[in-house]
Amino acid sequence: MMSRAAMHNVQISGAGPPTIVFAHGFGCDQNMWRFVAPAFEDRFRVVTFDHIGAGGSDLTAYDPKRYSTLDGYADDVVALCRELSMTGGIFVGHSVSAMIGILAARKAPELFGKLVLVGPSPCYINTDDYVGGFTEAQISELLEFLDSNHMGWSTAMAPIIMGNPDRPELAKELTNSFCRTDPDIAKRFARATFLSDNRADLDGFSVPSLILQCSDDVIAPQVVGQYVHHRLENSRIVNLSATGHCPNLSAPAETIAAINSFV
Amino acid sequence: MASGEDARALEWAELKDLFETAPCGYISASRDGVIQRVNQTFCEWLGIQGHHLVGKRLPDLLPIAGKIYYETHFAPLLRMQGEFREVALDFLKADGSRLPALVNAQERRDAEGVPQFVRLTIFDATDRRRYEQELLSARASAEQANEALRRLNAEQERIIADEVAQRMAVEETLRQSQKMEAVGQLTGGIAHDFNNMLAVIIAGLNLIQRRISPGNDDIGKLIEASMDGATKAAALTQRLLAFSRQQPLDPEPVNSNGMVAEMSELLRSTLGETIHMETVLASGLWKTVADRNQLENAIVNLSVNARDAMAGGGRLTIETGNAGIDDAYAVEHGIAPGQYVMIAVTDTGTGMTPEVIAKAFDPFYTTKGVGKGTGLGLSQVFGFVKQSSGHVKIYSEIGHGTTVRIYLPRYYGTGEASARKLSGDTPAGAAHEVILVVEDDYNVRELTGQMLRDLGYGVLSADGGQSGLRMLHEHPEVKLLLTDVVMPDMNGRQLVEEALQLRTDLKVIYTTGYTRNAIVHNGVLDPDVQLLQKPATLKALSQKVRQVLDK
Repeated sequence: MMSRAAMHNVQISGAGPPTIVFAHGFGCDQNMWRFVAPAFEDRFRVVTFDHIGAGGSDLTAYDPKRYSTLDGYADDVVALCRELSMTGGIFVGHSVSAMIGILAARKAPELFGKLVLVGPSPCYINTDDYVGGFTEAQISELLEFLDSNHMGWSTAMAPIIMGNPDRPELAKELTNSFCRTDPDIAKRFARATFLSDNRADLDGFSVPSLILQCSDDVIAPQVVGQYVHHRLENSRIVNLSATGHCPNLSAPAETIAAINSFV
Repeated sequence: MASGEDARALEWAELKDLFETAPCGYISASRDGVIQRVNQTFCEWLGIQGHHLVGKRLPDLLPIAGKIYYETHFAPLLRMQGEFREVALDFLKADGSRLPALVNAQERRDAEGVPQFVRLTIFDATDRRRYEQELLSARASAEQANEALRRLNAEQERIIADEVAQRMAVEETLRQSQKMEAVGQLTGGIAHDFNNMLAVIIAGLNLIQRRISPGNDDIGKLIEASMDGATKAAALTQRLLAFSRQQPLDPEPVNSNGMVAEMSELLRSTLGETIHMETVLASGLWKTVADRNQLENAIVNLSVNARDAMAGGGRLTIETGNAGIDDAYAVEHGIAPGQYVMIAVTDTGTGMTPEVIAKAFDPFYTTKGVGKGTGLGLSQVFGFVKQSSGHVKIYSEIGHGTTVRIYLPRYYGTGEASARKLSGDTPAGAAHEVILVVEDDYNVRELTGQMLRDLGYGVLSADGGQSGLRMLHEHPEVKLLLTDVVMPDMNGRQLVEEALQLRTDLKVIYTTGYTRNAIVHNGVLDPDVQLLQKPATLKALSQKVRQVLDK
């Protein structure tokens, strides 16, 4: 059987023994961390990996049922970190992987001593007493968009419309060398992400956590970061000046500094 | 140098015109996606003035899916690759509608390679998106058509599979009936020869019996034992003939309810105390037309089988009913569709496996121990029912019991069932009642002649049709022609046809062990034909001859 490390296209660098593992979110793969992870190689064993279905992972291991909720991804993280003999390490999760990290830490408390949550959101949809940033109608529109193939981003991910089914290698070439994503799996991952509600999993979670909050982040707005901070009893929040949802790319130095101050 | 400034101003105005009125949208944005400059074309497309756009972030111009795509794909990839080409995005217009667009983005760097800003080029993709939409719907309808075709194919395959299965079942039925036919031919041939031998034995015994002195008990007992054995053998050959469907039948209208009711007393005593018997007789039951004796035999055979299947006791039910056989069932079982009278015999016995059912009608097939069953009971039922244009069907479940249903064709006439015609004596004849015996088998001819003489008749004999006709010419005193049916050269029927031209008042009795179409049509006697079953006992011979002569 294939090792977990091989299935997840794991890359290891740096000088341990403490281990820091970087998990990418929806939309990309471990390339997301290419400007940040190397900064930790002098002090840590640095692990980056692709979730199953993303990047260079083993696509044959993708099971729509297992990955229909974040639980399946969290189980993967647990299995992978155990295979890497991690204990008391640091988990850095971007976007949806922030919540995946919390779920994994709840399943296997011995794995992580600290968590860094970059743009976390436990629930994307607004409810009566909660602001997630999206109305139900907006998420429906998003999912409908994903289902109807003509939307922009599936065209962008792989040129399925003009694409040539006889020459799948063309599709690969025309898309990107970074963040290779199967459009169908991406749709399912989007569904698992944007329909998730893991607010209850924040309660009683006491592993020291650092929340990195961007300004002007449409996916994880400031109010959501504050919510997570208030519900996680042992958390700190750092507001970055970086805009958007990906400070690991747009503001790597600021991101590195914030993480360094915590670990 | 006003002219130089003028020239630069002109150049600048021209470049600005190129920028503002280009057939595509231009945006300059910071690396964080904040719009710094936008051209007139793009503003007009969206219906938003330029100063309202400057300072906004690109995702602000996108609907929700575009916003998320921008944050999760567009911006990260632009960062990593320095460019991002041919992205299909919708922009929100001032009036709320959307502009389908194709977007190219490229980071612009200074001489040191430091990124300065992002240049976005936006093409109106309304037409292209429409083509794509058409392409997608064409593909979707092609997929739907394929799916429909696939389902149709699956349905066809299912229909063909059903058809094949049905044909195989019919072929299996045909094979089975061909096998039964072949076994029947064989059995019939043997039985016929055997019958002739029995005729000789029985006739001989009859004569000996009449001739020995009444006081000689030892010989009398021995003869009786021999007669008994021979009679049983004769009964056995009857069953073989029944199976081979070559027994002469004497069909008449039958009221099955009355018949079952008459038989039930006899059956109760045969079945014994451990078996509870009941009859369920349908009211308004149609009549059928069948050979009464054979039908009784069939019911007895079924009841005996039922008893043997219920060694520890049980319940035997004889049921009658009207039944319709539809076209599909009729085709499958090789019978004629229409209305039938059904007689069912049901037991609560051990039941039969499908393998046993498949062989149940084969002659000599028996599940009973050696010496207990002849293996001819069900084959008699089968042969008789088939010969009567009926149908027989076994339903059985292991451990629950068995039902055998007989279907006989409905009789539409009004004729009443005749009374049983049996009497115990051997009526004699007179010497002036001359009988011509035509029979090719020497022993049978001699013995038949002897029996008739013993009864008091005048007897002439011939060994074939031609000599028989000669005899008739020479002996006008002949009153009755007793002829075998199957003979070489001229058969019994041909002989009778010619004889009746000579002598219209001549009375005729056919005698046969088995009959061919010459005399029997589909196993049923022509109504006006008198037939004596071989081997005939003295009693049967005497009664038949007397009956015909007295007509």
